[in-house]
Amino acid sequence: MTKSSHVMIEESRVFRSIARNWALCFLLSFIVLFSLTGKGFLSVTNFQNIIHLSVIAILMASAETFVIINGGIDLSIGFIMGLSSVTAGKIIQIMSNSGNYSPVFSILIGISVALTISLLPGLLSGLLIAHFKVPPFIATLGMWGITNGIALKICKGFPVAMLPDSLTKIGNGYFFYIKPGDGISFFGLPEGVGNDQIREYFRLIPNSFIFLIVFLLILWHLLKNTKFGQHTYAIGGNQDAAIRSGINVKKHIVKIYVLSSFIAGIAGVFNIFQTGIGNFTPFGAMYELFAVAAVVIGGASLMGGKGRIIASVVGVFLIAVLENGLLISGVEPFYRFIAVGMLLILAVVIDELFPDLF
Amino acid sequence: MQSLAKRDRIDMLLKIGRQWAIIFLVTELVFFSVMARGFLTLNAFQIIFFFGTAVFLMATAELYVIITGGIDLSVGYVMGLATIVSAKLIVAFSQSGMNSFLSILLGIIITLVIGLIPGMINGLLVSRLKVPPFIATFSMLGICHGISELLVSEKAAKNLPHLANAIGNGHFVYIVKDGGVSFFSRPEVARGVKVYEILPNVVVIAFVFIAVFAFILGRTKFGQHTYAIGGNKDAAIRSGIDVNWHLVKIYMLSSFLASLAGILYMLKYVTGKADAGASSLLDSIAAVVIGGASLYGGKGTVWRTILGGLIIAILETGLRIMGIPTFDKYIIVGVILVSAVLIDQFFPELTYKE
Repeated sequence: MTKSSHVMIEESRVFRSIARNWALCFLLSFIVLFSLTGKGFLSVTNFQNIIHLSVIAILMASAETFVIINGGIDLSIGFIMGLSSVTAGKIIQIMSNSGNYSPVFSILIGISVALTISLLPGLLSGLLIAHFKVPPFIATLGMWGITNGIALKICKGFPVAMLPDSLTKIGNGYFFYIKPGDGISFFGLPEGVGNDQIREYFRLIPNSFIFLIVFLLILWHLLKNTKFGQHTYAIGGNQDAAIRSGINVKKHIVKIYVLSSFIAGIAGVFNIFQTGIGNFTPFGAMYELFAVAAVVIGGASLMGGKGRIIASVVGVFLIAVLENGLLISGVEPFYRFIAVGMLLILAVVIDELFPDLF
Repeated sequence: MQSLAKRDRIDMLLKIGRQWAIIFLVTELVFFSVMARGFLTLNAFQIIFFFGTAVFLMATAELYVIITGGIDLSVGYVMGLATIVSAKLIVAFSQSGMNSFLSILLGIIITLVIGLIPGMINGLLVSRLKVPPFIATFSMLGICHGISELLVSEKAAKNLPHLANAIGNGHFVYIVKDGGVSFFSRPEVARGVKVYEILPNVVVIAFVFIAVFAFILGRTKFGQHTYAIGGNKDAAIRSGIDVNWHLVKIYMLSSFLASLAGILYMLKYVTGKADAGASSLLDSIAAVVIGGASLYGGKGTVWRTILGGLIIAILETGLRIMGIPTFDKYIIVGVILVSAVLIDQFFPELTYKE
């Protein structure tokens, strides 16, 4: 009697933990499914590719995770990314092409200016939301228009090209280059080997992967183990209670939006390393909406107080694997939009039907 | 005695301040009339309305949803879907030997019916499954985008009959300078004789529908219930309104208007495009908010929303005539959007009461 009830409790606990991590289970089953249907899906190269191409989406989603846990929403991050990318690109372009500065120096200056500038939109929307009670949706939608306009003004509507090659060498580089039976080289091809021979080398661990791990560890720590993280959950859960327990809610909200906009700025800088071009954000890109989608698929609630960085990352990978797998399996890429839409609805409906799971 | 006069003056100021959107509109008009050569013409004004139709219609759709306390992100891509569906249907009908008028009419009607589906799903998700409107309509955005791209992936939606172009870019009234009026079709005149084209067809169609929906919101029970749900949902339920079904209707109405915007786009540009309405999302929400509606629901009128839409449309056309790249438009719209809410916050007595 006692034994069987013990087993039942154990079983229900297993079931609950599976159901709670349904996004992860989905991700795993997608990986199995696509390994069967898509030739070349199950390979180190392809997985490295998926990770490399998801970095920006992951940055965006982790920015949005903070804001959503806090009970808000940030629609401006996609265009803040464009602003940061274009600003960095323009400065690097002017400095390195003038011939007076070394590429490394101009890249450093460009990055730091872009990151500094990316603090401003967040500061503004944070102040509007915290002190002037503008709804987050409107404040960040306003910033959406403003940052987009400024980015387009800086680059005059064209991507900023003619940047030093070292950018993409870092951004698209790998940690190990292995030539079977020959040896390993770190961070770049061995001396005297041209890019035409790159296919002979087995490339392992993209630089972006290392960057991503470090970045996620910092954010995870910030959200999970610090007072800042605790306050973020507290404000999202019950703002009045947070105020009464002595948290400086207004200041905290400003900080959250500054953080989110700063992460978007980092994404812009990463973008320039990845593509070697300062890109403005096109209209149909909808980075912010896909970020919200990933966060919600990860189990966060738009009402606030709930969410995890790792779960948001799973959400991003779910979308990315779906896209990549469909592409490799030869399905029209347009199904991606439909699939993301369906996933999103599923996430919320699961949340709604089984509220005790989360 | 003196204090009474003072209070009168304050009342007067409040009365003026409450109409800040109109004052802004007039200032804008004066500014562009002075700064932009060729702005103060009949043609320029018709262009403002001609290119503004999509935003006007979608802002009206968004207004209904926002009054109930929701948001509809899908309108832009429902519009895109409608441009493609209608174009494909019309091409298919006319290729099967139907005459152009009938195929256009049939294509439009079927598209409008199909256009109700995304809204119905949105409404059911929001009302029955309690999916937050933001998520439900964003999912629908993705689904509509995907379906539109699929529809045009093999064959672009082109080669529409000539009549579509004639309707979309035609005018209601043509006045020949030497006298003589003709309706709907451009009169045959000698070269060099000026013909004034008045009232573009698409603008007339759009405003007929906007007027109908303004009437529904302002004068019918349906409209009253919409405000009631946005003001206090629980009270609305207790007073016997079928809130769930009403929300479904609201979202259907919203995607109906978005489809209509898509059909007008198809008539104007004689083609279907998946991202036809993608950039109008900011504009339509901004128009609603500038028009004094609150995202918390329960507030807003159609004519003020159109006023908000006009502020944006005039800005766009004015800047274009001045030769300033439209990049500035995004900045200015963003600033106006935020200021509209700030005015609402700082001077609650300035917001209109109706």
